[in-house]
Amino acid sequence: MMRRTATLLLRQNGSGVGGGIPQALADVLVCPLSKKPLRYCEASGSLISDAVGVSFPIVDGIPCLVPKDGKLMDQDQKESEDCTRILPTTNEK
Amino acid sequence: MAFLHSHATSFGYKQVPEEQKSKLVGNVFSSVASSYDLMNDLMSVGLHRLWKDRLISKLNPFPGMKHLDVAGGTGDVAFRVLERINSVSHRAMQGTLPYTEEDTQIYVCDINPNMLNVGKKRASERGYKEDNFLSWIQGDAEALSFEDGSMDGYTIAFGIRNVTHIEKALSEAYRVLKRGGRFLCLELSHVDVPLFKEIYDVYSFSVIPAMGELVAGDRQSYQYLVESVRRFPNQEKFAQMIQEAGFARVEYENLVGGVVAIHSGLKL
Repeated sequence: MMRRTATLLLRQNGSGVGGGIPQALADVLVCPLSKKPLRYCEASGSLISDAVGVSFPIVDGIPCLVPKDGKLMDQDQKESEDCTRILPTTNEK
Repeated sequence: MAFLHSHATSFGYKQVPEEQKSKLVGNVFSSVASSYDLMNDLMSVGLHRLWKDRLISKLNPFPGMKHLDVAGGTGDVAFRVLERINSVSHRAMQGTLPYTEEDTQIYVCDINPNMLNVGKKRASERGYKEDNFLSWIQGDAEALSFEDGSMDGYTIAFGIRNVTHIEKALSEAYRVLKRGGRFLCLELSHVDVPLFKEIYDVYSFSVIPAMGELVAGDRQSYQYLVESVRRFPNQEKFAQMIQEAGFARVEYENLVGGVVAIHSGLKL
């Protein structure tokens, strides 16, 4: 069963800059290129698309999901321990 | 030469390579973002407000809906959807609603962060608590970052003519809508009414760029705007494109003799 972005993201305390992303976004956001779920990387405050190995920044609380603004991650970044491995939650809205 | 092999698209009356169009459009909107609202009022003599009201009443928003407004950075359409939902909720307080107001989510997607920042600021000025009901996302209408079948409604007001590949934007709209979801597009269109057409042309090509110069300090952006309207497919052609994207019950309504048109479609 495909994991939805919502199960890959954990809502941090509060919303906004550096605090994860709000549930409303987690419920519907996917990678604009692959349309697959995104993962939130706490260290960089960005959204990761594992399907295509691209990371998208969040600027001033606004996710920047324009395809051409995505950054290709190199192998090191993909395996980095800095990005919190988020466990699926049962926190379905 | 690479130019000979790349596809060209229209940027106003200039033919430009495809890759350039989105950059040029981007520059236009970074430039216009701050005086956008004022120019809209001046150019349309305040009518754009009524046109957007008409768009919302055709949309018929309901409490609990998930709605996506594309290219609506400054929030004009999003705020109207929310306000309409709030008024519906209050009227229906007596009876039971299938969804609660709390489930309502309006997503505002725009390719330009300046427009989104203006929208966010306006939202807080109106007293909307951050992240309550409204979400702001920077994204491309041709490659949306929303899940298949996640939206009850999709609107795009005065944005689709700026998209490089209109067909892609339409098929993305189709993809993200739920079955039974509605597509609505408010856009400047073609006037065929004799005499009025001539007056409209003079107004467009002489008055608007001059206004752009005076008010926004930017003649070129408004010249682009006027030209992009002429290059955009006419009402029938655009309706056909919407149908080709998979929508059913495609229809359009002309306002002010075709100066603007609201096209709508249903995803069955």
